[in-house]
Amino acid sequence: MTLLKREEWQHLVRDVDWTYSYVDDEAVYPEWLSGTGKVPRAAWRTWEEDYKVSYPEYVSTQREKETAAYAVKAALQRSNAFDELSEGWKSSTKMHYGGVALVEFEAVLGELKMARFGLNPAWRNMAAFGALDEIRHAQITMFFGHEFVGRDPQYDWTQKMFHTNDWVAISLRSLFDSMMVTNNVVDLAIQLPLTFETGFTNLQFVALSADALESGDVNFANMISSIQTDEARHAQQGGPTLEILVEHDPVRAQWVIDKAFWGSARAFAALTGPAMDYYTPVEHRKQSYREFMEEWIIDQFIRTIEDYGLRRPWFWDEFMKGLDTWHHALHMGLWFWRPTIWWRPTAAVTKADREWLQEKYPNWETVYGDKWDVIIDAVNAGNVEATLPETLPWLCSLCHLPCCNATLGRDGRWRVRDHSLTHNGVTYHFCTNGCRQIWWKDKDTLNSPTVIDRFLAGEIQPMDVGGILNYMGLTPDVMGDDPDYAWAAEYRDRVTTTPLQVAGGAQA
Amino acid sequence: MSESVTDAAAEPQLVPVNAIFHTDFVQILVPVTTADTIAEVAEKVAYHVEGRRVRKQDAPKVVFHGGRRLDPRLTVADAGIGPLDHVRVEYDV
Repeated sequence: MTLLKREEWQHLVRDVDWTYSYVDDEAVYPEWLSGTGKVPRAAWRTWEEDYKVSYPEYVSTQREKETAAYAVKAALQRSNAFDELSEGWKSSTKMHYGGVALVEFEAVLGELKMARFGLNPAWRNMAAFGALDEIRHAQITMFFGHEFVGRDPQYDWTQKMFHTNDWVAISLRSLFDSMMVTNNVVDLAIQLPLTFETGFTNLQFVALSADALESGDVNFANMISSIQTDEARHAQQGGPTLEILVEHDPVRAQWVIDKAFWGSARAFAALTGPAMDYYTPVEHRKQSYREFMEEWIIDQFIRTIEDYGLRRPWFWDEFMKGLDTWHHALHMGLWFWRPTIWWRPTAAVTKADREWLQEKYPNWETVYGDKWDVIIDAVNAGNVEATLPETLPWLCSLCHLPCCNATLGRDGRWRVRDHSLTHNGVTYHFCTNGCRQIWWKDKDTLNSPTVIDRFLAGEIQPMDVGGILNYMGLTPDVMGDDPDYAWAAEYRDRVTTTPLQVAGGAQA
Repeated sequence: MSESVTDAAAEPQLVPVNAIFHTDFVQILVPVTTADTIAEVAEKVAYHVEGRRVRKQDAPKVVFHGGRRLDPRLTVADAGIGPLDHVRVEYDV
């Protein structure tokens, strides 16, 4: 029997659709899930993607990927590779496992929603493969992380983290729920596959992979590279969706893509920024976080949106300036509030580190050096207690990250400034103008109290540090600490010097 | 009964504020009370930052609220600082 060529049959199976006679279209594709909005229903007929993969091809390719990834893992299991990794790099992986594993599972739900409510059969077909991809990503991430639980209980947060009320978990749930769970599939396709997966996952899965290899973690690099090969395919759902939306409702397209970019940028500043510029040992850093962002995200993002006839987001200047500050402040926050996280953050401010940071970020010493100097002196004086928190950092009502973004004022001073608004008699605080603006426009659909809100509402008892850590799910065997305070010793001679007077934020 | 109501009304009320101290890198939650003086507010905020992340300076502290520099002798209630308000504490140099 002669088999048909793929191109002779695939459109039949991929593009099968129905004309409903017993129910109307709205019953099958309700607006709140399918989200056609101002786009005429018929316009979705032109939705097209280039991959046109068939199920047998998909299974065959995925099987090869899985075999390769697990073969490397099995080989490395017999070596002592894990023991030779630095604590800093291990922190990067713990952060990644906990921060990513169940976001991948949430992406399964997002893909399944598109597979059911997408407005074109080819789109639904691609999303079904996307769901299978994301199941693999959730499983491989949990399986690789699980291997280390016996050696270090912090790896247990690979699975646990997303289920806790840790502030990082609340921040990530808030972001990804808005990208995958609470929105319609048109917005989802633009926020997740196009903005997040086409742009930002490149940074986490390709650029961080380079740091992993440099740090000697072949296993981790192998895992995230394997995941990334799927993204290139299912991320294709975003382009055709955006193309149709831009034609009929460019204002909505711009808004959806803008806020997804902003939310992703905030999350990556918190997780990928410290991993690249601090936790990766200085001798192994390939590029700075800023350089990675410029190379992997910014150029491509701008090219993409301009190709679709969209503009740079309104927050562009604030975002670009933030590349020099956001992740440095978040790193300091993660270190200072280290009992609230499930990894051991290295301070990574040795003299060699600082030389590197100052070269990559010319304002680093001015904005952050003085604070680290005070911390260093406390550590060297044996007063580690002074470097531990006794209250909460204020958390942004949109991104749930600490309000910690210093900006340069017209008076030449670097200061963290107030970005607040009062609505219905309640004052909300934000880390940036960008977060404040997005909250204001989306306020009717947001319902995610910050840890501060929960604390002040009396949900956290007792109302002290112990009560907060317990509420977040942190146990003594897991809560973070600096892996080795000896890094501060090289500054010991400074204790005898006169303390620097810091006026106006300038380094004396 | 009226006596206990009067007593309750006279009790200082908790006022959680969003505070930033001088050049510190992050805003923090600081609980103050309606009866605290502004000078006490400055010290309560400084407690979490001075010598921890910002080097202590031999200079008086000044509190700003709503764009106004507050008299250190005022109380929180007199100054009109409410729950969730933002206050900035600076060295007066």
